[in-house]
Amino acid sequence: MLKDMAWLIRKTLTNTFRNKRSWIVYFGLPICGIVLSMLLYGNASNGTLRIGIANHDGDQTLSQDAIRFVQSLNNVKVTMTDDEQALRSDIAAGKLDSGLVIGEGFSDALKNGNPDPEQLTLVSVKGAQVTAYVKALLQGYVGNVAAIGKQTHGDSAAFDAIYAAYAKKPFQFHTEAVKDTSNKKDMTYQSIGYLITFMLFSAANLTELILKEKENRTFLRLMSSPISARSYVLSNVAVNILILLMQIVVALFVMKTVLKVDSGIPFAQMLSLLLLFGLAAIGLSLLIVAFARSSSSASALQNLILTPTCLLSGCFFPANIMPESVNKIASFLPQHWLLDSLQKLQNGEGLGSLGLNVGILFAFAAAFSLIAIYRFARNNDTKSFV
Amino acid sequence: MNVLEIRNLTKKFDDFVAVDNMSLSVSEGEIFGFLGANGAGKSTTISMVASLLRTTKGEILLLGKNIASHGKFAKSNIGIVPQDIAIYENMTAYENVSFFAGLYGLRGALLKERTIEALEFVGLSDKGKAYPSTFSGGMKRRLNIACAIAHRPKLIIMDEPTVGIDPQSRNYILNSVRKLNEMGCTIIYTSHYMEEVEEICTRIAIVDHGKIIAEGTKEQLKAIITDAKDIWIGVKSERPSAIDNLKQIPGVISVRLEDNVVKIASKGEINNLNQIVQQLIKDQIEIRSVEEQAPNLETVFLTLTGRNLRD
Repeated sequence: MLKDMAWLIRKTLTNTFRNKRSWIVYFGLPICGIVLSMLLYGNASNGTLRIGIANHDGDQTLSQDAIRFVQSLNNVKVTMTDDEQALRSDIAAGKLDSGLVIGEGFSDALKNGNPDPEQLTLVSVKGAQVTAYVKALLQGYVGNVAAIGKQTHGDSAAFDAIYAAYAKKPFQFHTEAVKDTSNKKDMTYQSIGYLITFMLFSAANLTELILKEKENRTFLRLMSSPISARSYVLSNVAVNILILLMQIVVALFVMKTVLKVDSGIPFAQMLSLLLLFGLAAIGLSLLIVAFARSSSSASALQNLILTPTCLLSGCFFPANIMPESVNKIASFLPQHWLLDSLQKLQNGEGLGSLGLNVGILFAFAAAFSLIAIYRFARNNDTKSFV
Repeated sequence: MNVLEIRNLTKKFDDFVAVDNMSLSVSEGEIFGFLGANGAGKSTTISMVASLLRTTKGEILLLGKNIASHGKFAKSNIGIVPQDIAIYENMTAYENVSFFAGLYGLRGALLKERTIEALEFVGLSDKGKAYPSTFSGGMKRRLNIACAIAHRPKLIIMDEPTVGIDPQSRNYILNSVRKLNEMGCTIIYTSHYMEEVEEICTRIAIVDHGKIIAEGTKEQLKAIITDAKDIWIGVKSERPSAIDNLKQIPGVISVRLEDNVVKIASKGEINNLNQIVQQLIKDQIEIRSVEEQAPNLETVFLTLTGRNLRD
């Protein structure tokens, strides 16, 4: 039986990889998915904010100190300009992430304890994502200086004395940059989301070969030879496992080594989980083939089942942005349990604590395969042979 | 010795009986013709002999062994030439033959030798590296045969091997069938072309509604029909409406038109030749020749089943 299977596997692999399209479908597309997720999430990983400052308040001490304060912030690169219009143009063109406009009279208002928000504005087209950090720290600085101004009630000498003491920074913060891993997690989540979508379609395409063999009658010739139907189906499953394994290894290799996307999950754990999901994908594709009467109806079923389930389970965009009801539906889909497992591993949980997820993925693989086998066994369709 | 023996074979699909208590035997060295109109039960019987379908009742013995319990043995000794061309378009002719021969356990030098031999047998030895997509219909049919014989089966089942090909390829295939038979293969041959069956088969069975209704040599089958005759009338021009008028004449069983010859099967005891000729003249069909012949296999088939083989 093993010799028969090896003979069939050799033929299927040769025929598959003789076709250049197969290389693109099985390996090219998953890599494209990873690159796409890099493009989607890659920009957010750039840690330096480019801020332009237009100062209309002259050489006033407070406005100069405010500028120095911004310049002293971590991960901020400041560009000075006198032309507010040019500043806005640079922001629109993407040359700057945001701009700080210091209005005339900013220092005086601050000294009096009445800072005017209109005299210190942050401009950006990217929204709070880039302004929040600077705004929060700047507000702290302005708030402190304004408090001094308020307490000194317009007494310039008292203000200068207290401010000088404040400027000496008797209370210093010790700041330490913590590595931001959320971006890395998002990128991995999305890359794997695309990968498992392609794995599902790859498995379905490979299993569909059974129907294509029936349609071009070579199945009849195969079944009239000493090869058993069981050997034939098992050889198809073996080819499926082999190609999915290669697909996973290539995708993970490109992700980690070529594109330098570190998932934060050990390679062996990631491979094991993806391979387990591969078994569920093969089971599902067998189920589709068992119920389809032709390769065209199998393709229609594929699109009808695979695309919406991938969408619901968060393969195309993060599941947490979807409504609770959709997440509940996703619990009935194997893709959800794989992505959930990966997220748990990224959050520091060990593989041992993923018993439920692994069990559910096994259950999906077993249930799909058993239903397919039952259906195959009861199929007495004369059109298959006569 | 019987190569194939079928005993009380029945196949039901729900309530439909496709093969009804059929029994027959095929001896070693025969070219056995299996005739029947579409839906008569030929292909279902062949599928059961090839172990592609389970039997509902009855047994099939190949070389004395029941195929139900000796499936692998039976499959190893049978070669199937299916009606539809069953080859891989993305594999060369050599790869196709080699792959199918490999399914029977052939490997290495023996596999190479048998593959080359099979390609030579069907006249495709110089096309081994070519892909079937570049082949004519006749060449594909020949490759279809090569894939079935490379493992040297004892019994070859050929299901309509000459459908839709040019006369030259048809002659090549018919000669190949004879040559295979001379080499010791027993052959079961089904065809819609009665003249082919008449030309090459040593014994013939006529199947209708899942039953064998007549069996024997072509002479034995023709002898069954004593009350029928064939009238062939050569005409200058054809007109389908004239054929309909001929069918109304008493005694006429069937009328068909082939290459400017009106072929009429008629009851032997009724003398209706004058009426037939008069009707053609009335329909302004110019007659060139009139021949009365002893019934051929086509007439036998028609008389026994009430329909043409191509129906």
